[in-house]
Amino acid sequence: MAMTDKRSAVRPVAPRPRPGPRGRRAAPSRPRLLPWAMIAPAVVALLLVQGYPLVRLLTLSTQDFGPRSLFTGQADFVGLDNFTEIFQDTDFQAVLVRTVVFTVLCVTLLMVLGFLMSHLLMGVSPWARVMTTVCLVLVWAMPMVAATLVWQWMYQPQYGVANWLLTKLRIFGDLSAYDWFSHPNQALGLIILLTVWKGLPFVALTLFAARGQIPESLYEAARLDGAGVLQTFRNITVPILRPVLAILTVLEVIWSMNSFTPIWVLTRGGPDGQTTTLGVLAYLTAFSRNQYGSGASIAVVTVLILAVFSIFYVRRLAGQAEQGGTA
Amino acid sequence: MSAPMSPARRQRAVNNSIAVLVSAVMVFPVYWMFATAFKQRGHILSAVPQFVPWPISLENFQRALAKPHFWVFVGNSLTVTLSSVVLSLVISLGAAIAIARFRFHGRRALMAVLVVVQMVPMSAMVIPVYLMLRSINALDYVPGLIITYMTFVLPFTVWTLRGFVEGVPVELEEAALVDGCSRFQMYVRVLLPLLMPGIVATSIFAFVNAWDDYLFAYVIMKSQTNYTLPVWLVSFKTAESVDYGAMIAASTIFSLPVLIFFLLVQRRLVGGMTSGAVKG
Repeated sequence: MAMTDKRSAVRPVAPRPRPGPRGRRAAPSRPRLLPWAMIAPAVVALLLVQGYPLVRLLTLSTQDFGPRSLFTGQADFVGLDNFTEIFQDTDFQAVLVRTVVFTVLCVTLLMVLGFLMSHLLMGVSPWARVMTTVCLVLVWAMPMVAATLVWQWMYQPQYGVANWLLTKLRIFGDLSAYDWFSHPNQALGLIILLTVWKGLPFVALTLFAARGQIPESLYEAARLDGAGVLQTFRNITVPILRPVLAILTVLEVIWSMNSFTPIWVLTRGGPDGQTTTLGVLAYLTAFSRNQYGSGASIAVVTVLILAVFSIFYVRRLAGQAEQGGTA
Repeated sequence: MSAPMSPARRQRAVNNSIAVLVSAVMVFPVYWMFATAFKQRGHILSAVPQFVPWPISLENFQRALAKPHFWVFVGNSLTVTLSSVVLSLVISLGAAIAIARFRFHGRRALMAVLVVVQMVPMSAMVIPVYLMLRSINALDYVPGLIITYMTFVLPFTVWTLRGFVEGVPVELEEAALVDGCSRFQMYVRVLLPLLMPGIVATSIFAFVNAWDDYLFAYVIMKSQTNYTLPVWLVSFKTAESVDYGAMIAASTIFSLPVLIFFLLVQRRLVGGMTSGAVKG
């Protein structure tokens, strides 16, 4: 990395673009300060509104920053006390486990259903493809806040369309006046359903577009060699799509784990804190209980989990890329 | 109809039927929003749902629009969103061109930082950002929200625009310089028009990010007249009684710009997204 940078930095700098023989690959002149001037605003903004808060988050997590600190600006450093405290808290442990389960369920459903949907899009007539794509784009475009409010309306106990339909179908008996959001597991189920429904178009359309880039001749050749559906899936589709699948998985893990709006709007983490995830708990601890230090330490735990997961994934990906070179 | 189908055609027919079913299930909540918004009041609160709103009524929209400060919330949302989109595009365009066209010290480090920063979740940052804005007395202050949104989309917009700049042949820029353009003129007259599709795609992401954000606006904006649409929409559902008709009509108004935007650029959206995803 340093090599290439150094080489380019010592290249002769032409003060003015000179009309001359064409064919040089790089831009004609190489002013030294111009690129810095061009990136400076972005760097300054990132340092101020992302870099500084990130450092502040870390220091905050080691401070006893309570309601009084808000006004005095003074807070004692307590080392890792916030962390030992939250990890000894059984509520936090339950939230941690719930967040992991929630994330795993959401991401698994998203990836499996998204893959199936992209597969379906490959094998339908053009009109059906356009129709499905338009429907998916509409779901994708619907703002999360609006989607959550519509969800709440659909599952409204007395007048919601969901209870009416389920009662009609007679699968679960009479569900008129049934309040989904007063039962923790069912409320969480509906939140997962909402997250998966809302996130599915992005996954499905991305995978569909990526599959369009795989040459059809590969599949034809495999079929001539007598490969079945599962074999072409395992030996062609998955290996080629692996980078896209990996990036999608990482993104969906980050997004699911930090999902706030649907949970907050539908249940506020209730009933009895039983639909609270790490993001909601960090918010509640900081802004409802005014324990900014503890809230920050919960947020730090979330970021650390995500960081470990991302590094693990990126490294595995790099390893696979090296091995896959000869396959 | 009764003619025997080849296996391939039968398979396609089965797939088409599944696609119809999947589309119907997926799009139903979106449809239900529109259907509810246009229903008469009596048809909304009925034990048997009315699947097609008839007669179509605009009373829900009238009630939503008549809520106190409705246009103030629309104005706030538009101000915050458009300012943060324009600012982030101007700032990230400069950075994107610099990264794509110049080799300078720290270029790769900067790119790595952009990727990593993108992974830091917004919900973790809300606590320090709140305390920071509080310490400089910028809570409940529109520019504070604008700068926050602008910065949170920056890593994404710089990264995406960089890809689009790299897609424009350098030779075109060289030719313009040879023809006597200044560097700035060259960017405005040659590069910018060619980047338009990329700028549109990027601005949609920036727009949706700010338009739809609930958490930051909820934490930072305290006085009611500073609410953005999402914060107001959620505060709509008070514990006592919810005017579902007006709430869903307001949600419809709130969703409409994004829905139209997405439908218009649908093809480009999917294409741009994957080229970015595959290249990483």
